[in-house]
Amino acid sequence: MGGKVRERETPAGDLRLVDLTKRFGIFTAVDDLSLTIPQGSFFALLGASGCGKTTTLRMIAGLEEPTSGQVLLGDRDIARLRPYKRPVNTVFQSYALFPHLDIAENVAFGLRRRGIRSVDDEVRRMLSLVQLDGYERRRPAQLSGGQQQRVALARALINHPQVLLLDEPLGALDLKLRRQMQIELKRIQTEVGITFVHVTHDQEEAMTMADTVAVMNAGRIEQLGAPADLYEYPATAFVANFLGQSNLLAGEAAGPGGDAVPVSAHGARFAVPRERARLDRGPVYLGVRPEKLHLVDSLDRVPAGHQSVAGVVSDASYVGVSTQYLVRTGWGSELSAFAANTGSEVRFPVGASVVAHWNPRNAFLLPREPGADADRTSPLLDEPPVGALS
Amino acid sequence: MSALAHVPAASGQSSAPPPPPRRGRHRLLPYLLLLPGAAWLFVFFALPLLQLAAASLYDPAGSLSTGYALTWAFGNYPDAVQAYWPQFARSFLYSAIALVLALLMGYPLAYAIAQKAGRWKNLLLVCVVAPMFTSFLVRTLAWKTILSDNGWVVGLLRDVHLLGPDGRLLATPIAVVLGITYNFLPFLVLPLYASLERLDPRLLEAASDLYASGWQAFRRITLPLSMPGLIAGTLLFFIPATGDYINAELLGTPNEYMIGNVIDSAFLVRLDYPQGAALSFLLMAAILAIVFGYLRKAGTEEVL
Amino acid sequence: MRSPHRSLTRRGLLSGTLGTAAMLAAGGALAGCGTKGAQQTEAGCKSDDLSGTEKKLAFSNWPQYMDVDEKDESKRPTLDEFVKKSGIQVTYTEDVNDNNEFFGKVQNQLAACQSTGRDVMVLTDWMAARMIRLGWIQKLDKAKLPNVEANLLTSLRNRSFDPDSQLAIPWQSGLAGLAYNAKVTKEIRTVDELLTRPDLKGKVTALSEMRDTMGLLLQSNGHDPANFTTAQFDDALNKLKKAVASKQIRKFTGNDYAPDLAKGDIAACIGWSGDVVQLGFEDEKIKFVVPESGVMLWSDNMLVPNKATHRANAEALIDYYYDPAVAAKLAAYVNYICPVQGAQAEMEKIDPDLASNPLIFPDEAMLSRSKVFMALDEKQEKEYETKFQQVIGA
Repeated sequence: MGGKVRERETPAGDLRLVDLTKRFGIFTAVDDLSLTIPQGSFFALLGASGCGKTTTLRMIAGLEEPTSGQVLLGDRDIARLRPYKRPVNTVFQSYALFPHLDIAENVAFGLRRRGIRSVDDEVRRMLSLVQLDGYERRRPAQLSGGQQQRVALARALINHPQVLLLDEPLGALDLKLRRQMQIELKRIQTEVGITFVHVTHDQEEAMTMADTVAVMNAGRIEQLGAPADLYEYPATAFVANFLGQSNLLAGEAAGPGGDAVPVSAHGARFAVPRERARLDRGPVYLGVRPEKLHLVDSLDRVPAGHQSVAGVVSDASYVGVSTQYLVRTGWGSELSAFAANTGSEVRFPVGASVVAHWNPRNAFLLPREPGADADRTSPLLDEPPVGALS
Repeated sequence: MSALAHVPAASGQSSAPPPPPRRGRHRLLPYLLLLPGAAWLFVFFALPLLQLAAASLYDPAGSLSTGYALTWAFGNYPDAVQAYWPQFARSFLYSAIALVLALLMGYPLAYAIAQKAGRWKNLLLVCVVAPMFTSFLVRTLAWKTILSDNGWVVGLLRDVHLLGPDGRLLATPIAVVLGITYNFLPFLVLPLYASLERLDPRLLEAASDLYASGWQAFRRITLPLSMPGLIAGTLLFFIPATGDYINAELLGTPNEYMIGNVIDSAFLVRLDYPQGAALSFLLMAAILAIVFGYLRKAGTEEVL
Repeated sequence: MRSPHRSLTRRGLLSGTLGTAAMLAAGGALAGCGTKGAQQTEAGCKSDDLSGTEKKLAFSNWPQYMDVDEKDESKRPTLDEFVKKSGIQVTYTEDVNDNNEFFGKVQNQLAACQSTGRDVMVLTDWMAARMIRLGWIQKLDKAKLPNVEANLLTSLRNRSFDPDSQLAIPWQSGLAGLAYNAKVTKEIRTVDELLTRPDLKGKVTALSEMRDTMGLLLQSNGHDPANFTTAQFDDALNKLKKAVASKQIRKFTGNDYAPDLAKGDIAACIGWSGDVVQLGFEDEKIKFVVPESGVMLWSDNMLVPNKATHRANAEALIDYYYDPAVAAKLAAYVNYICPVQGAQAEMEKIDPDLASNPLIFPDEAMLSRSKVFMALDEKQEKEYETKFQQVIGA
């Protein structure tokens, strides 16, 4: 399989978006976007509904014409090519399978349009790749959602595109199937070695599959990097809260200090290591992930070198794998802290006085808009509704 | 890999146990409910049709004053064909040409209304249907004015030398075909609209993404998916158009008369009932044959 | 789209065939042995006259064929006058739009000797002749029609389908002749000119009423439309056929030639005097021509059908309309040829212009050139009509 794919591939090409802008009337959907997606990588565009990620994808596919900017594949600008002239294929959110054609004809569609006559072997191989052997003569309506999704994938992959675009491909599937397909997509990507550009609002999905994740907000990229880097050291408050949860304390940095940037917040003094600080003076957020925030019953028990905040437990939810606490601080904000159920930890009842502490190495310092004085602690959000437009 | 074990083919169709059989009048109920409709059809469709069938086999030598005897005169059929085959041929020729013209206009129209009209959709639909609010006759008479020898249409065509200085449209086959095209266009457009409106534009994006040019996407996606509406529309257009006689009567000359004119005159003017009935049946049979042939060819049993 | 054709199963074919056979059998049974003859006789279909006890009358006429009050269109002065004078209540219905269509409407009842619910109906000569031939029309009592006896135009007496003027009494008459639009063409004088003049090619219409068109053509060949042979008819028909084949004749029409003539789409035609008089009021360039060879005189006739139960009342009405003063009032409104002698003198009092209009009160010269088409028997009617319809295309 793999050998055959590489044989047919056209010469190398990273996908580069240069100063890409798309306006609909006065609304700017994508704002001067530039990024490079290396050939063969699995790239995720992550963002909430309306952040411009799907518009970006559609501009790569050719379904939307950029207001300005370039879409480069290798050295070729494809931004003004008709969609059917681009070596790019898409797996649509709705799958958009052709209801009047059977599965084999759906999958063979792209090959036939390019005048390839004998498609049967290739179709069978593709269906086998997505584990739908024997489904050739079914109609799309006779298949389950997950099966349709895999047909859509096979239909795109059979063309050996240089770039495969996936628009919320798992959005319509239930949770269990989604997990399965995440693993499956990753496997297939590794197997065929094609550049995958994956658009999603689901941070877990992005992190599971992608080599590189770009978080988009309001038409711009907030941060781009490996999933772990994004999570461990977010660049903006948006990323810190969109990708997982964070406790962000509003404070003022009074740097530059030495190895650590001193921060004062709510009358207390903290420090963050220089390599964990995005800036060293002015208004900042001091961020700590809930699972990095530990609770003890008194100040004595705070380990040496850790920093701490005292408070009262205002809510405790037992969710099996962990217990999730809300701790009300002296100045009224609620911090969340996850305590893993290791079997040896102490449980705190609601109303108990506690001290929340963290290792400064796990904290991070983000820029804060001067006006935003309140702390930002993310509530226990559910995932956005499945199938939400983006 | 193993996580994606094959789902059995019919897993979606979980079969609930069949409902227990009903007894007594409950089983008769559906048939009783059918009764009024069936009776209506019998009295107002089947019986007159039988009467007509019988009339087509009357002795052609009969007359109004002496009456007609049912002599199973099957010779009425070949006689009628022999006498009036040109009008038969003309009926099918004119309605076929009109159908082609109507398709060329109606398909883009229906497509535009269904997919591109946006908030004008309802207004445009009303515009398509609006002529139907006036009578067929009035609409056709209006065409007489439009195509009049001294009207602006003919004037314009003469000016650009598409028509000679004495050329005319009225009382020519062109006028008849145009009249038929116009009068039956909504019957074609509405079903087409209904099926094109359901067409998901994302399918066209998908086709375009899969290397289909605009034409190929139309040919492979739009056209097949609009097939039910297309078939219904062409039938709704073709069947009444073939039997029409008003357009030929008002916009044509004797040289353009269609089989409907002949049947009209057989029943009302010449009082030749056997021949009128035979011609009616022949027309019906010819249309049915064409329709069935067409449906077989088009291969959509679903619309039947 | 590639699904295999549904095969025709043997069972489906069988049941279809059986069904068709059953339908045909049922149809045969239903139709019995065809239809009964429609011919009636005076003895076989007697009508009672209840006029003595019922002062009522049902009158079916063509639209716009009765005078109405200029101020109130729902009032009909002459008819209201009759009601007042005689005390007979008249139900007046304008339900005759077309002879053939009306025939279809009453055919079943009259063929079975049943009442049509009408006491007087107005139909054109040839349809009147057909109904008389079928024995569907009641004979009137001449003693009760003194005005008719005295005032019916001589040319309208002794017609072949009603030699004694006791079955069909003319309501209004008219001429079928030539008409042209002087804005579009120069004067036209003969039928042959109409059928052959090159400048008229494609701008000529003729009437689809066989008796009018063929009558004029017979006359143009020097034959008598009141008495002709099949060979003479065929001669005339050939002449017409040539004019159709050469595309001289654009089409065959009913009343609908009138607006086309006014617009000039048609330059000349065979038309009816009544229409041309109307058009002439609005545009004096529209002219009616009585060809040298002769002109066709037709009438719409009052008929009392079988089983009409108010014959005496009908006779009273018919005779009333043959009072010259009444006839003149009617003629002033409808503008057809008035069949009543003496009405012209009465018209002088109402409108001298109309009184001198030869298309309402034709002079002797014109009347002498006018003919009424021969009454045809059923066989002739069907034969001639079929031949004619073939030439005019249907």
